[in-house]
Amino acid sequence: MTVPETERSKISAIMRACRVINRMNQANPDAPKSEGLYYKMLSDYYTRLLNAHDEGKFIAAHTVFFPSEILYAMDIVPMHTEMTTWMIALFLGGQAEILSAGAELGLVPEICSPHRGLAGAFSLGALPRPDAMLWSNLICDNTAKSGELIMEMKKCPGFFLDHPFQRSETEDKYLISELEDMIGFLEGKSGRKMDWDKLSDIVAKMDRQIELFREIGELRKAVPSPFPNRGFLQLLTVDYLCPGQQDAIDYLEALRDELAEMVREKKGAVSPERFRLMTLFVPPMYLIGFMEKIGREHGAISVVEPLFTRWAEGRLDPSRPLESVAKKAAMIPERRSMYGPLGQEALQDLIDCAEQYRVDGAVYWAFMGCRHTCATVKLFKDLLNEVDVPMLTIDCDIVDPTINSEDEIREKLEQFFELLEDR
Amino acid sequence: MRALGIDIGSLSTKAIILDGNHIVASSIIATDEETELSAKAAVDEVLKQAGISLDDGVFIVSTGVGGKNVSLSQQSKSLTTCLARGVHRLFPSVRMSIDLGAESSTVIKVSDRGRLNDWVNQDKCAAGTGIFLQQMAKLMQMPLDEMAGLSLEAKGRADITSTCAVFAESEVISHVHREPPTPKEDIVAGIYYSVVSRVISLCKRIGIEGDVAVTGGVGLNKGLVKILEDELGLSVLVPEQPQLVAALGAAVVAQESIDKGVNG
Repeated sequence: MTVPETERSKISAIMRACRVINRMNQANPDAPKSEGLYYKMLSDYYTRLLNAHDEGKFIAAHTVFFPSEILYAMDIVPMHTEMTTWMIALFLGGQAEILSAGAELGLVPEICSPHRGLAGAFSLGALPRPDAMLWSNLICDNTAKSGELIMEMKKCPGFFLDHPFQRSETEDKYLISELEDMIGFLEGKSGRKMDWDKLSDIVAKMDRQIELFREIGELRKAVPSPFPNRGFLQLLTVDYLCPGQQDAIDYLEALRDELAEMVREKKGAVSPERFRLMTLFVPPMYLIGFMEKIGREHGAISVVEPLFTRWAEGRLDPSRPLESVAKKAAMIPERRSMYGPLGQEALQDLIDCAEQYRVDGAVYWAFMGCRHTCATVKLFKDLLNEVDVPMLTIDCDIVDPTINSEDEIREKLEQFFELLEDR
Repeated sequence: MRALGIDIGSLSTKAIILDGNHIVASSIIATDEETELSAKAAVDEVLKQAGISLDDGVFIVSTGVGGKNVSLSQQSKSLTTCLARGVHRLFPSVRMSIDLGAESSTVIKVSDRGRLNDWVNQDKCAAGTGIFLQQMAKLMQMPLDEMAGLSLEAKGRADITSTCAVFAESEVISHVHREPPTPKEDIVAGIYYSVVSRVISLCKRIGIEGDVAVTGGVGLNKGLVKILEDELGLSVLVPEQPQLVAALGAAVVAQESIDKGVNG
């Protein structure tokens, strides 16, 4: 079965955009090597997806925070639904079209926009038809419900992976049994067998990836901080799309080396560095260029994102691959503050981040579609106030540009910078 | 060198000249479609009152909706920073100030040095703003002053939504036309309460503490301020000309720049 033309056009456009950026980078002698590797990684991911059916491969669509290491180990082509929808919005400016298609499915604006968007994107035929849909309750109910909707729309089989809220020996065993069931489901539907040696290799690489994330996090503590504002979203993309993949390691190693050199030379991503910010949740993705610009204008730099870039302690063990995949689900940064009860560990980490990264102020991007996360706004604000870190809350949407204008966000950020400067 | 502050609001533009701690002159004019023209007119008027010209040495700081686009000014500052400075100059004990402007409501927290500690505003809907009250006055077919006086005589309070200006308008119409009609004073009290309830929710969001002031043109509305005091359970401080506070704050910032030897 070949991929229909509508689907090809969107995915091809993402690939073309990545290639254009790469050509521009190649023409710029000052462009960092990591940038080239990042866009090549993206382009390769979407090339694999685009060619999957032509090459007789099985496509498994999956929601965010899903253990796609297992798919890679089975030679199944993963399609990260939220990320691919974000890419359509980011590279093609297609938010209005996909959100409108989501609205036509009855998904109201209060529902998480990436999920409205991914349903809309499937409905428009902008994403390849999956051979199976995989989804889980990590990290929210939107995720849990999106899978069923897509299964129904695309008439494909699906598997729901149930993650327990807490960690204990019993719950770890339960998650491992869920993973085993999922592997059985995938083997049955795809006709492919799990390659356990390959999974071990991927787990070893994932362990290396996590170490690199931590090393990059350490380098960002430097004053001035070497990591640009847009870099945070690139780190997310790496983990979401290419866990345990060599191209992800190549990118992260290049990035780590570049940052280390900048730290040695005392070079910052913005100069002069005036405001070191903690980013809570995610700024609107369609404003990435704007965030870079305003950062340069005011010397403002995001140095840490506790909800997204702080991996929990622990190592993965390639000799116990399935246990390691389950363990990784417990170590991901997003889980600590956004899934299940908010424990003391998450709150303490916020304080540790403020101190270790010498944060001047925090910006909470209160994404209205992620209500369970936004319930922490007051808790976080009060906690940060205790360590004399002011927090700005900006109500926003991470995908839908109709909620805030760039001018409105600029005005709020500039007021906040004045507040910080005046202290 | 004199310090001059301009606050360009959506309905009126205000200017103040400070000489040290003294307010030398102030002006309030209706905002023109062109920000620059409004700023120039307000500055001309205040300079005329003070009997000086720009050539005599004036350091200008602008704020407000078009504050960044004023070519006359040497600096621009955000409204919240200027409100904090202005309120502190008038009432040093104030730690929270509520600015009720034409198009937005802003609540700020002020430090003991007159610095902005925190703020929250509502600018997504006309409900809770001066323009909303003007619309309601038109609907009630009475001037704003009369409305304010009438609300003080209210024995009850009509239920008016606190979330949407358009819905509020329909509700007021239904109160006017029901049989028997809801007493006008109760409708006005209900309108004011709908504004106050939004404002109090903003105050609680950043935490009510210390003395509280009310600034902005709506601060002149005694009926609304009374309901605000009743709901807050405390007396609020209202300057004689509450609409001038941001311009005063801009002038204070200008004075600070002069004292630091900053040249535009």
